Amino acid sequence: MSSVVIFLTLRVFPGDVAQLIAGTQASPSEVEALRESLGLNRPLITQYTDWIGGIVRGDLGTSLLSGASVGEELFLKAQVTVPLGIMALLIAVLIAVPFGILAALLRGRRGGTALSVGAQALAAVPVVWAGMMLIVVFSVWLGWLPPQGFPRTGWSTPGKAIEALLLPALTIGIVEGAMLMRFVRSATLQAAGQDFVRTAAAKGLTRTRALILHGIPAVGLSIITVLGLQVAGIIVGSVVIEQLFTLPGIGRMLVADVGTRDLIKVQSELLVLTGFVLVIGFLVDLLHRTIDPRQRESA
Amino acid sequence: MFRRTRRLALISALAATAVILSACSGTAEPAATSTGEPDADATLTVGLVLEPTNLDIRHTSGAAIEQILIDNIYEGLVTRTQENEIEGRLASDYEVSADGLTYTFTLNDGIAFHDGTALTSADVVSSYETVRTDATVQGNAEFASVASITAPDATTVEIVLSKPDQNFLFSLTGPAGLVFKTGDTTDLKTAENGTGPFTLTRWNKGSTITFARNDAYWGEPTGVAGVEFQYIPDFTAGVNAALAGDVQVLTAVDPNLAPQLEDSGDFTLTKGRTTDKATLAFNNAKAPLDDVRVREALRLAIDHDALVEAVGAGTPLYGPIPELDPGYEDLSDVISYDPEKAKELLAEAGQEDLELSLKIPSFYGTTVPKLLISDFNKVGVTLDVDSVEFPTWLEDVYTNHDYDLSFVLHVEPRDFGNFANPDYYFGYDNAEVQDLYTQAQSEVDPDKSAELLAKAARIVSEDHAADWLYNGETITAVSPLVSGFPKDSINSRINLAGVTVAAE
Repeated sequence: MSSVVIFLTLRVFPGDVAQLIAGTQASPSEVEALRESLGLNRPLITQYTDWIGGIVRGDLGTSLLSGASVGEELFLKAQVTVPLGIMALLIAVLIAVPFGILAALLRGRRGGTALSVGAQALAAVPVVWAGMMLIVVFSVWLGWLPPQGFPRTGWSTPGKAIEALLLPALTIGIVEGAMLMRFVRSATLQAAGQDFVRTAAAKGLTRTRALILHGIPAVGLSIITVLGLQVAGIIVGSVVIEQLFTLPGIGRMLVADVGTRDLIKVQSELLVLTGFVLVIGFLVDLLHRTIDPRQRESA
Repeated sequence: MFRRTRRLALISALAATAVILSACSGTAEPAATSTGEPDADATLTVGLVLEPTNLDIRHTSGAAIEQILIDNIYEGLVTRTQENEIEGRLASDYEVSADGLTYTFTLNDGIAFHDGTALTSADVVSSYETVRTDATVQGNAEFASVASITAPDATTVEIVLSKPDQNFLFSLTGPAGLVFKTGDTTDLKTAENGTGPFTLTRWNKGSTITFARNDAYWGEPTGVAGVEFQYIPDFTAGVNAALAGDVQVLTAVDPNLAPQLEDSGDFTLTKGRTTDKATLAFNNAKAPLDDVRVREALRLAIDHDALVEAVGAGTPLYGPIPELDPGYEDLSDVISYDPEKAKELLAEAGQEDLELSLKIPSFYGTTVPKLLISDFNKVGVTLDVDSVEFPTWLEDVYTNHDYDLSFVLHVEPRDFGNFANPDYYFGYDNAEVQDLYTQAQSEVDPDKSAELLAKAARIVSEDHAADWLYNGETITAVSPLVSGFPKDSINSRINLAGVTVAAE
């Protein structure tokens, strides 16, 4: 279903790859000949079935422009985007969980309010702006981290590669983390009101210890669910962030491919990303069942 | 009959260089030569902006491909110098018959493809036959006047035209003239089997392309053992890479960032000429721009000197033919900066409250549109800027002619013919220009042909068929260790055969 939506949406864009390949000196007949040889003149339904037929067999097709296999290019670019996503997610969790719990514990006090307001403000910051601020502080003023780019040597120089990904990961991580933090806070507060936490407290634990030992594991589940949803946010964030930091990842490739109307490539890439988000959703479901015995029984 | 050997062409090119150097002394110094001896084992690192989308130079247009592949990896019978002069390459010698119809090329000795196969005239014939008969191959239209391509013997190629074509030899210096092995099965999108002084070692997509010296090259061996082209699409990142020592040469330096490189003391900057024509196209076929008074008013409203100053790398250009192309003439007498006269002309044409839209591909930035908005505003013309993706521009402007004004950089050399083609997106239809252009094409003597072109170009400018905002220049930052890096026209051709890198 999503494949049909992707396929048809892309066909609405003006201009095509044949015109782009031919350039501004080509006659209409040359462009037409090119279109024919690229198979762009075939009926839409044939183009769709050809493409989706390949996908079913695990073949993502080849780029109209470069002739390279889309699967291989995705794999290559994933080596930037996947580590970036994982780092961003880690940073988000590292920010959200401790500060979220802290904000819940300090509720009603000045520190707690400050944390909540801070998170609210951070979550509202556009990723691009956050990225530019971080570049100004860490690259321009402090000179600690490279402002843009990814080492040509790639992961054969892991130190440099991680250095290059740190600022972009921090950018996505802070903004996503701030959003996640608000959730952790409210989930913790909810747990604090639960009977079993009060029981634990009644048995002699301090309120804070009861919350941490018994309350947090219980809300961990809902935090994982939200994290799963955040993955989609991180993918969208990486498209923007890879532009800003000129990282050769999937997001940047996607934008470039839309710009060159390499439609077979764009639609396969989008389908893979869609599939990826669905798979994450499925994994989160599975995880739920493993962690929560109640769900296993009801199923 | 006139006859030009490789040596003669070379001499004329050298002479042209000498004239140019003396004419513009003080503007740009050639790269300083290092005191160190050239290191034959050195690798040259060059920073470029636009990466090729694929390496299939036969089927894909674009300067990014031609820039690195022609002369380095692939060769044609003839090639062109930085000054756009034609000289022999695979052909040691060529002759054009007095009637301008028969071209006879004699091949150099010992030419071989990178796979080791010897190149013969049969390969030239099959390559050129493909260009002639296959419309999907680059240059097919330029071969329209070719009647026959034959190989009288293994080292001679004879091409007969049905009518004289002054542009034909020049088109052979482009992708159309390159020679490929007959029946080759190499996947040209990612690999090559050329005859040039370098071979392709690796293409790391999105990052680098590397060449290595072709030890079996038929001509002079290259000065460096290898070349690494680094693709850095972001201008600031490019300058940072140069300052960090990642590249020895950075091409297409953003004029605003050039001082950073100059101040570092690690680079010498050169300003090279190009055939880039920053073309503000008027839709001549559509009201109100079909009125010559409106077109002239728009040109009078533009402060070209201020624009050139703001762009930072260019010279004023007042007609369709740039200095590096035949038929160039200084046409600054045709147009001036005169907003008052512009207003009068607009009033005369009944267009006091004119609203026009400008379609511009988004990658050109905002400098030019901003200046145009303010210049036009001063004469009562409201300009609505529509920044679009390049494929959208191709569809709307180039294909459908749906626009008022358009801005693109026309980089191709010798493309004046677009003004003699009423079906081109300019929509400019002038029988006299078309006639002069046809004459220029069929004129056998290059000098006479250039005169005819100059005459036609003057008419086009006097008709205000478009405005040429500036003639682009290209800034290159070169490390003092590097000698012989080309300066002019490097956005379309970077011939690296003579480049050396000194030992540090």
